[in-house]
Amino acid sequence: MGDASIAPLHHEPGERRIEIIGPEGVPLTFPAASIGERAVAFSLDIVLLGLTIVTLVLIGAFLSAGSQMSFPMGMTLIAVFVVQHGYFIFFETHWQGVTPGKRLMKLRVVSRDGAGLTTDAVIARNLMRDVEVFLPAAVMASPEQVWGDAPPWLLLPASLWLLVMFLLPLLTKDRTRIGDLVGGTLVVRLPVAKLQQDQAARTSLVPDSPDDVLSFTAPQLSVYGETELETLAGIMRKTDAGKASNRDLQIIAMTIARKIQFEGPLPQTDPRRFLRTFYKQQRSHLEKKLLFGERKADKFDAT
Amino acid sequence: MSDPKKSGLPRSVAFRKEREGQWFELDRLVNKSMRGGLKVLSSAELHRLPVLYRSVLASLSVARRTAMDRALLLYLEALAGRAYLTVYGSRRSTKGALRRALFETFPQRVRAMAPELGLSTLFLALGAFVAVGLMKSDMGWYDAFVNPALANGRDPNATTETLREVLYSGGNHGEELATFASFLFVHNARIGMLCFALGFAGGIPTALLLFSNGLMLGAFIELYASRGMTVELLGWLLPHGVPEIGAVILCGAAGLHLGRSMLLPGKRSVRDSLAAAGRRSAIVVAGAVVLFGIAGLVEGIFRQAVTDLTLRYALFGFNLLWFTAWLFLAGRTKRGAAAKGAPS
Repeated sequence: MGDASIAPLHHEPGERRIEIIGPEGVPLTFPAASIGERAVAFSLDIVLLGLTIVTLVLIGAFLSAGSQMSFPMGMTLIAVFVVQHGYFIFFETHWQGVTPGKRLMKLRVVSRDGAGLTTDAVIARNLMRDVEVFLPAAVMASPEQVWGDAPPWLLLPASLWLLVMFLLPLLTKDRTRIGDLVGGTLVVRLPVAKLQQDQAARTSLVPDSPDDVLSFTAPQLSVYGETELETLAGIMRKTDAGKASNRDLQIIAMTIARKIQFEGPLPQTDPRRFLRTFYKQQRSHLEKKLLFGERKADKFDAT
Repeated sequence: MSDPKKSGLPRSVAFRKEREGQWFELDRLVNKSMRGGLKVLSSAELHRLPVLYRSVLASLSVARRTAMDRALLLYLEALAGRAYLTVYGSRRSTKGALRRALFETFPQRVRAMAPELGLSTLFLALGAFVAVGLMKSDMGWYDAFVNPALANGRDPNATTETLREVLYSGGNHGEELATFASFLFVHNARIGMLCFALGFAGGIPTALLLFSNGLMLGAFIELYASRGMTVELLGWLLPHGVPEIGAVILCGAAGLHLGRSMLLPGKRSVRDSLAAAGRRSAIVVAGAVVLFGIAGLVEGIFRQAVTDLTLRYALFGFNLLWFTAWLFLAGRTKRGAAAKGAPS
């Protein structure tokens, strides 16, 4: 009982999904943000952050040039520190897990446990940025300055360690970086919700007469399963958009008729009507079965 | 509408027709708040949001079990996801959140990592003792322990007079020292954060960093001790040393806590244990940065104004008092006790 009757939803092929169980206990799935998207979002944020810091330094330089005091320099140092470390934390707590870069890329930070994103999680995930991004970058730019006079035997393991941390998102299933592991967070892409027309509710082409002229028997409706039903819905959506030729529809209708050993009037004359009626009745049939917990995945599914 | 049974329509068609209105209403509210935040919703809409969200969750659960329409399922899945992010993604700041974080959560979490605090202190003290011991045999070790940028001219080659002057430099140098104090604050806070983040490598780099900071501390103490100025040095060091060294120890403890959660996750998975420890430690590190800031203020302002040794020791006593009260007494409320008892 229960989850066995829930079939996995087929999303875009090859797309990574992240499952989150909210406080209501209903599992929700989100598309995982790809490495590319996250890299672009991060770069945008870094550019914005860099510009802010440059502006602060210029203001500081201007102020200290105007006075004899070195006071503005000290303030600038602190302001740069606050902006550098507060940027991500500020936006992720105040913009619902979104920074300007993430907003442009339609990404979101969510809490892995399904509860709301807490401030401590945001702080934790951003404290780790230093070791996973800036430290490896600094090592690449000038190793001698970072390592100083550290013993040489330490360099290799330390460099390897930094490399692994840097590449961690490529190695983990959910594309988690260290900050995500330490903060218990994940980064998802905002799902797009667009409701397509229900192909079984369309009546324009089929008169909603008391009983369809065409009718299929239970054994005929038991040949195909969910996958084929979905394919058929896709074909009809194409037909609606005017992207399917009558010839193709004829071939499809004939193939189905042959497969299910349909004995009524042959569907060549009006393949659309045949397909639509078949889709409707097939879906009714499968949904009725589903009520009793019987799910037929596709035509090879023998249950 | 015709009866679905008579018309032969699938059940999910009627299901969708009945609920569509609510879904679209939620869709509209979610889109609105995604553009402008929850504050653009009217109070009526704000109350409607969770109600609609729960009804869509119910629709999704039913559809997953009964509907054979992939388009419908994908839509509900996406809509529920978007609504979840809207309902739970936002954190409306409550009154006094900052005060509670600083004076309740922070000290509570510090106390919750007592073993790591002890270990962190031990590594720092060990470094200091090693430095003192080595420098007793050869003063030359000093250069190996202390970064010249931070020494500010204090090294074994300096005359006793110069060394003494650094401890009491005020007046004209005040302005420059304010800059130096903010430089020190930024430097120390970065080291502290690094100390925590490096805990991810099983806590080993954190221990090394603590040890090397201890070496530096010990080197300073021994340098002044060798000129017979221990009491004066401590008078200079201790007032800002209380928050500063305290913060170093806290960051170290947070890093070691992270390392421990990975090496000894207990009954939980390493993933869960790490995330819980990370969140707990994050608040400790944030509090430590505040302490570094206080240390910077003490260093940049008070120490320049207060050159009298007795007053300096009085300041030390005062700092020790509030520091202890903050970390070891604050937040011991009923709520705190409940939070401590609850599995976090």
